[in-house]
Amino acid sequence: MSHHTHTWPRLETRVHRIACHFCDSHHLVDLIEEGQAAHCRQCGQVLYRNRKSSLAKAGAFGITAFCLLLTALLFPFISMDVFGNKSSISVPGAITSLWTSGGTFIAVSMAVFVVILPFTMISCLLYLCIPLLIGRTLPFASPIMCGFQMLQPWVMVEVFFLGAMISLLKLVKLAEIDLGIGFWSIAGLMFCLAGAVGGIDKVELWDRIELAKSRRRPA
Amino acid sequence: MSRVRESALQAGLVGCHTCLKVSAASQHQCDRCGSHLHARKKRSIEHTIAFGIAGILAFIPANLLPIMVVTQLGVEENSTIIGGVATFWSMHAYPVAIIIFIASVMIPGLKFIAIAILVAAAKGYLKIDPQQANRIYWLTELVGRWSMVDVFVVAILVGLIQMGNLMTIRPGGAAVAFGLMVILTMLSAHSFDPRLIWDRLRIPKQP
Ligand SMILES: [Zn+2]
Ligand SMILES: [Zn+2]
Repeated sequence: MSHHTHTWPRLETRVHRIACHFCDSHHLVDLIEEGQAAHCRQCGQVLYRNRKSSLAKAGAFGITAFCLLLTALLFPFISMDVFGNKSSISVPGAITSLWTSGGTFIAVSMAVFVVILPFTMISCLLYLCIPLLIGRTLPFASPIMCGFQMLQPWVMVEVFFLGAMISLLKLVKLAEIDLGIGFWSIAGLMFCLAGAVGGIDKVELWDRIELAKSRRRPA
Repeated sequence: MSRVRESALQAGLVGCHTCLKVSAASQHQCDRCGSHLHARKKRSIEHTIAFGIAGILAFIPANLLPIMVVTQLGVEENSTIIGGVATFWSMHAYPVAIIIFIASVMIPGLKFIAIAILVAAAKGYLKIDPQQANRIYWLTELVGRWSMVDVFVVAILVGLIQMGNLMTIRPGGAAVAFGLMVILTMLSAHSFDPRLIWDRLRIPKQP
């Protein structure tokens, strides 16, 4: 039995070797307790963290983010009223409106960075986290985890939200603005994505996947 | 500076860039995640420079061309990013003016300088504290995506303001240039391998 009762399960419970992804110094790292982080002895960068109830947190934030993304797609984002001239857009509405008014590139980037990639990333995370809660993995867990990591820098919901704030400041003088359910869903989505992605370390996810896979294989 | 720790590469090991598992350098594929193993990112400097130059080329039209074309009661008006900053400034909306200026002009500009510093350090033309280089690299990766904010502002305004004869907004050429610039600089930063800077400190110790 290990003393490290709070450490996530690993395939090998002894000290393991890890190379810093900033300076490539390699160290033998002991298992770390919940709330702790292992730092590189050369450059001080975080090698990995052990976060509290990480798997449950990532799963819960992931499911909430999934639902919020759906509501953001269905409900109006911003409505405005200029001299009785009402107009209102939803996120997909804005994308189609851009497409038809000649902004093909912007329409595509908005669809990709704000809808398609976040949707794919959350789906990947849930596909991994939910079965891992009972110590299992579904087929293709490894390539899906690789995809999840690759997508992270390209999910720009929070940047879109800052863009929405700036647009509002531009519009406030021009018209009466109403914020719709879609707007608040995007705000919530931003927090849930941060919670889901920041809630679990990739090293922990890989360790858990590795262990679950070894269990699935016949002994 | 004290002796720099031995790298995995020097010890005949290779750390997986995806899952961090350490394998023997002779191995080509990671046991755990299936990724191709390579001690340093492949052709890192070449890719960083190529994407960086492409990004600078896109940065020029991004600032010169109009980002939006506003047609109000039949009168067409082009607005550029700098023009937008000036408008907010004259409206006394200083925080907004500053945010737009930082996100769309300063961050991209500083990012090109940061990438140039990192490449120069990795090639050995420039001596900088590697800790500082780590910080620059980390910031460059973190901050790049925020420049996309201009593209999203245009997206929202164009989507929202289509009021027939009263007022319409079309995206201008700068919106495309800007989006491309952000994507290219993100790829440039992503191609860079900070290990190359640390390797420079280790070379003299090797006989
Ligand atoms: Zn390090
Ligand atoms: Zn791997």
